[in-house]
Amino acid sequence: MKFVTGSLKKDTEALKKLLPAEDILTFDFSSEKGLAFTVIYADAVTDKQLLGEQVVRPLLHYTGKPSAEEIKTKLTFSEVRTAKELRKLAEEVLAGNPVLLFEGMDEGIVVGTKKVFTRAIAEPSTDVAVKGPREGFIEDVKTNTSLVRRRLKTGELRIENIEIGRRSKTVVALCYLEGTSVEKTVKDVKKKLGEIDIDIVPDSSYLTHFLASRPYSLVKQIGTTEKPDIFCAKIAEGRVGLIVDGSPIALTLPYLIVEDFQSSEDYFVPPYRATFTRILRLLSLLVAIYLPAFYVSAQLFKLQLFPVKLLLTIAGSIRDIPFSPSLEMLLVLFVLEVLNEASIRMPKYVGMALSVVGALVLGETAVSAGFVSTPAIIIVAFSGIGLYAVPNLIEQTSVLRLLMLLIAGSVGTYGIILATAFILLYLVTTENFGAPLLAPFAPMVGRDLRDSMVKYDLGSLKMRPKTLGSKNKRRLG
Amino acid sequence: MNKISARQLYFFLACVMPVGKIIILPALLAGHAKNDLLFPMLACYLIEAGAVFCVLLLMKRRESLHALLENAFGRVAAGILLGILALFYFYAALLPLLEQRLLVQSVFYDTLPSLAAFAPFFLFCAYLCAKPLGSQGRVWDLLGPISIAGIAGILVLSVGAADFGALLPVGSGGIGGFGMGLATAAPWFMDGALLLMLLGRVDYRKGTAWKGALFYLAGGLAALLFLAVFYAVFGGLAMKELFAFTKTSKYFSGITVLGRIDYLFIFALSLVMAFWCALPLQAGIDCFLQVFGRRRHLATILSVAVNLLFFVLLILLDNRFGEVLHAVTGPAVWIFPVFCAVLPPLCLLLRRNHAST
Repeated sequence: MKFVTGSLKKDTEALKKLLPAEDILTFDFSSEKGLAFTVIYADAVTDKQLLGEQVVRPLLHYTGKPSAEEIKTKLTFSEVRTAKELRKLAEEVLAGNPVLLFEGMDEGIVVGTKKVFTRAIAEPSTDVAVKGPREGFIEDVKTNTSLVRRRLKTGELRIENIEIGRRSKTVVALCYLEGTSVEKTVKDVKKKLGEIDIDIVPDSSYLTHFLASRPYSLVKQIGTTEKPDIFCAKIAEGRVGLIVDGSPIALTLPYLIVEDFQSSEDYFVPPYRATFTRILRLLSLLVAIYLPAFYVSAQLFKLQLFPVKLLLTIAGSIRDIPFSPSLEMLLVLFVLEVLNEASIRMPKYVGMALSVVGALVLGETAVSAGFVSTPAIIIVAFSGIGLYAVPNLIEQTSVLRLLMLLIAGSVGTYGIILATAFILLYLVTTENFGAPLLAPFAPMVGRDLRDSMVKYDLGSLKMRPKTLGSKNKRRLG
Repeated sequence: MNKISARQLYFFLACVMPVGKIIILPALLAGHAKNDLLFPMLACYLIEAGAVFCVLLLMKRRESLHALLENAFGRVAAGILLGILALFYFYAALLPLLEQRLLVQSVFYDTLPSLAAFAPFFLFCAYLCAKPLGSQGRVWDLLGPISIAGIAGILVLSVGAADFGALLPVGSGGIGGFGMGLATAAPWFMDGALLLMLLGRVDYRKGTAWKGALFYLAGGLAALLFLAVFYAVFGGLAMKELFAFTKTSKYFSGITVLGRIDYLFIFALSLVMAFWCALPLQAGIDCFLQVFGRRRHLATILSVAVNLLFFVLLILLDNRFGEVLHAVTGPAVWIFPVFCAVLPPLCLLLRRNHAST
């Protein structure tokens, strides 16, 4: 471990040795009384204007002693601290905070004139609400924590910054309410975060792998949100939140599957409407996953599942199709997935052309050419739309839909039922940070059912969710 | 996760246990007891309710069956007794599995599928059996409402076509029919024996025993109601209508317009049945795990081995449900009453003996 010696030349050289990159610059200047200073900073990430106006300019007229304490009082900047260890100072420079050294002082002054590149706070595209707040998290952790602090003006709100990533040194803000969040959960999260040994953390999704109890599972185990109002509501319920620098998606845990069937808007509309939309989301999801599978299995193994008239219509439309029902459905599903993937990645100006190609050429022409039948396209289209009723589960549900389709094509309806039983069994036995994934349905928690698929009015939600195990049980007077 | 709450136990007793009794059993009872088919079922339920109540009382001790037997007879004898019980569970699993296979062949396929179509059940069963028996509690939380919806849905769709006059006059089946019905129904009443495996796993509260017995009887009432509707729909032809719960609702007038919407309820009950059928196998494996100690690898190996064995057995017994039933209800008819109706009260006595010593 090397420390600042007090010899300006030696210390500057030692620091430059630790930071040999070309964008690490030094700026030497002297005060009127001849006291020599050196500022070491990273070119692109330091606000040089701020550095010049609030650090260099005041020191040019400095006439006092060469003491860190005295010099700190002359800087017209609030975020100033000192450090003696050279490695620590180097890390500060890399983070965008210039280091000020001067002759005769055995510590460096770190000035927090980091240049912050942020985009404006906007409504997140994945979580749009017609009623309610429209603010969304952005990539800057400080802005995001300020959005949280603005909503939770209480001393109980703890925001602990933890650095993760050997090279990226990404700041992860651990947010929780002291006395409301479960202590064990907070401890466990800190422990798991502390154990992460990774090069870089480009996004919050990297952390989910380390925090999940079953990291290789298809099932989502950590909650995500882009909206500060949802984030704060979850923290207020007793959850722990994580905001990762560079990611607009915050994490919350423990996670319950039912969370993804709830929308922030549910709390701003009458409860009967919220209940209706939640049930609608669940039904949409079930239809999206199961409809293609049941259609195929009915065609292949049990025609009785269709009403007679519908059966005749389907029989007419599939008569000349050269593929088996499962292959036909797989083909249409494959086209849907490709269109979906391409429309996300493709430049916007090509989007219109893609829609024309997708809808007309692949849809209309494929039917008239006799490659696929109209019912197959209708079913896949409906399934495709239904899946987006619960956008946060799209990664999982699209795979499940494909899995069900494959099972239906090979084993039939009984296979679908067994696969469902398998999934249910898997879900009920999955827990993360002490909370069962399927709660409040399995185990059934009567009190928590009031804000699950059914939404009671606000006056009935006096207690925090029992599943989360918060000691501070009451949230409404 | 490994503790079963009282509520979960009630769901199991009232909603999961009856589903195994509404597949082939109603037709068999109709064959033996004719319009008196309710009586053998009622008698079986009352006898078994007594056994269930005894096991529920034993749950107060919060001791596993292994611990109970070990305290009374010592370690080696407890191991042997649990081994015998495991063999009984495997024996008891055979009939529901054959029944389930016939159901799958008949209900889920237009043409007779290959044996491989039923093979995925054993994959699911192997996964289930590798899990601790206590984890079933959460499953019952889900299966309870599904089962209620399934049975209620089928009853609602069926009742329009029912003529309850078919159940009259009472007593036309005769004592012989009643006795045959009783003997035939015995293999479907292994509830008391299955509950033995839940000893030490239930979070017993005050009143759980009598509440549990009442819930069990409530489930029995639902099964009896179903039986009544079933006979009221089919009358004298009921004995030919195997897989009763898939048949009674097919005369619902809306089916011509909406299609077989009753299949929604049939699928829901099939889901519950998949768990129910796997339970005796899981209980059997759990007996061994109680003796040798639960280790993850051992549970997996045992689970895979037992399920593989049963899959082979099912291949060998291909279409011999009738022969197996004849054997189970004929020469070996005493086995089920001994394990399901006599053993639970005996265990209760065992507790008393132990307490007095």
